Amino acid sequence: MALRMVTGKFRSKLLPMFSSSLLHSHATSFGFKEVHEEEKSRMVSNVFSNVASNYDLMNDLMSAGLHRLWKDRLVSKLNPFPGMKHLDVAGGTGDVAFRILETINSVKHRAMQDVLEDNLYEETRIFVCDINPNMLNVGKKRALERGSGEEKSLIWVEGDAEALTFEDNSMDGYTIAFGIRNVTHIEKVLAEAFRVLKRGGRFLCLELSHVEVPIFKEFYDYYSFSIIPALGELVAGDRDSYQYLVESIRRFPPQETFASMIADAGFQKVEYENLVGGVVSIHSGLKL
Amino acid sequence: MYRTAAKRVLLLRVPSGSKSNARLLLPPILQSFAANSSPLSTTSVNPNQRSQNPSFSDPVSSSTSSSSSSSTADEARRQHSRRPTAEYEDEQARVLHATLPHVVRLGWTEAAMISGARAVGVSPSIIGSFPRKEAALVEFFMDECLQRLIDRIELGEDLKGKIPSERISELVRFRLEMQAPYISKWPQALSIQAQPMNVPTSFKQRAMLVDEIWHAVGDEASDIDWYVKRTVLGGIYSTTEIYMLTDSSPDFRDTWSFLDGRVKDAFDLKKTIQEAKYLAETVGAGMGSSLQGFVKRVFPG
Repeated sequence: MALRMVTGKFRSKLLPMFSSSLLHSHATSFGFKEVHEEEKSRMVSNVFSNVASNYDLMNDLMSAGLHRLWKDRLVSKLNPFPGMKHLDVAGGTGDVAFRILETINSVKHRAMQDVLEDNLYEETRIFVCDINPNMLNVGKKRALERGSGEEKSLIWVEGDAEALTFEDNSMDGYTIAFGIRNVTHIEKVLAEAFRVLKRGGRFLCLELSHVEVPIFKEFYDYYSFSIIPALGELVAGDRDSYQYLVESIRRFPPQETFASMIADAGFQKVEYENLVGGVVSIHSGLKL
Repeated sequence: MYRTAAKRVLLLRVPSGSKSNARLLLPPILQSFAANSSPLSTTSVNPNQRSQNPSFSDPVSSSTSSSSSSSTADEARRQHSRRPTAEYEDEQARVLHATLPHVVRLGWTEAAMISGARAVGVSPSIIGSFPRKEAALVEFFMDECLQRLIDRIELGEDLKGKIPSERISELVRFRLEMQAPYISKWPQALSIQAQPMNVPTSFKQRAMLVDEIWHAVGDEASDIDWYVKRTVLGGIYSTTEIYMLTDSSPDFRDTWSFLDGRVKDAFDLKKTIQEAKYLAETVGAGMGSSLQGFVKRVFPG
C-alpha cells in the first residue's frame, strides 16, 4: 500500500519534471512508471524486501517450477570448474550459487580434481552479491538448512551491482539471474562485470525477456498481466510488487538490443539463447 | 570451427604454410555455416551492427571493432574479406594448442583443457564458450595434423619418385604417426568423434584428409571412380587407425606392414576388377561368336 502511495506521489510530482528521462527510458523506469533515477533503487529495494520471504515459493508458482530448469541451464552453460572464483550478482537467495557449488562437487568433477592439483578444490570461491540484505538473509538461512552453512566456498556480500567492491580481473565467472532488469543503469552493471572478470572470464545473464511467438505471446501477456498480480496478492499478499515485476519485464530491452549492449561493454562472442520461446533468455559474453 | 584461427597459430610457426592456406580455405558459404553451427537455438548478435561496419579494409573501423563490435560483425567481416578471425577464436585456438601437451596425461577432457587455459594465462572459464568442449579439442588436433600433412606433401620431393601405392602408404603412415604420442588416449578421441553431435565434423575432416592424400598421389578422377577411390582409402585409413590402437610392436611395425598389405590389396583389387572386366569381355565375345554360329546353324539361309 505504502509503495503504491509513494509511486503515485512521484508519478504526479516528477513526471512533468522528468520528461527528458525518456532519453534513457529503460534506466529510469519503475515498471511502466517514470521515476527519478535515485528513487528507482529505493523502490526496487522495497519490492524485494516485501517479497523476500515468499520469493522462492512465488518463483515456483509463477514459472510452474521451470525457473529451476532455467537456472540449471545457466549453470551448465557456465561450465564451472574446481578452483573457480565466481561472482553471482543479485543472487541473494543463493539458487544459482548452490547449483554452481553442486556442479563443482559432483562426481565428475571429483574425478577431475584427482588429476588436477590437490588444493584447487579448496580454492573455489563463490561470492553471492545482493544489494538487499533481506534476500541475502534468506540465502544464508537456506545455506544453513542445506548443511552448507559452514562452507568456506560460499561468501555472502551485500553490494551494489553498479559499484562492485571486487578488484579488477579477479573473477572467472559472473552470473546475474533475474536481476539486471531491476538495476537503474544496465550499462554500469555491464561495465562493472567487465572490470571484475579475468581474461577469458565469462558473463552470463539469465533474464525474463520478450516473447515474439504470435499466439503464445497473447497467452503470455494475459498470463502476466492478469494472473501473476492476482497470484501475488493471493499468496504473498502483495499485488503491487508483482505488478511491478511483469511491467519491468516489458520495459527490459529486447534480446538483440541487450546483446548489443553487452557487446558495447567490451564482451566478445556475445550470444543469447531463448528458452520457452523467449520467456527467458540467457545472454553470454566472453572477456578477452 | 577453429580451423582459420588454428591456421594463424600454425602460420606463426611454419612460414612456408602460406601457400597451402589459400588452398585449404573453405568457401565462404561453408565458413558461414561453420561459424553459425552452434547447437540448439543459440543465436549470435547482431544484424544491425553489420551495417555499422560496412568497410572492411578501413583501419579505423577495425581498430574500434575490438571494443565495440559483436562477434557476428567479426564473423561477417571474415566472410567477406577472409582476413581476420574474431579475436576470441585466436584465443580459443591458443588454449587448444596449449592443451595438447596435457592430453597425454589427462586425455581429451575438460581437465586437460583447464590445464591448457592455465598454461596460457587465460581463465579456464573460456572452456564454457566452446559449444562442444572436448570435440573442439579433437577437431583442432585433426585440423593441425591435416595442416602438417599438407606441408609435408608440398615439401615432399621424395614422393615424386614413388609409385602410387607406395605414396599412399607413405602418407597414411606419416599422418598416423602424428597420433602415435596420443595412442593411449586415442580411443577416447575416436569415441568423441563418433558422438552423434560430432559426426558431421569428424566425417568432413576425414573426407578432407583422404581427398588430400589422393591429390598428393596425383589423382584426377572425376567420375564414379572418385567416390570409389575415396571410400576405399577411407576404409584403409580407418582400419589401420584401429589396428594401431592395439599394436604393441616397437615403432608400430605391425601396423605399417598391415597398412602396406591393405594398400596392396586395394591395388590388387583394382587389377582384379580390371582383369575380370577383360575376362567378361572375352567370354562375351566368345559367347557371341558361338551364339552367332548356333543361330546360323538353326536358321540356315
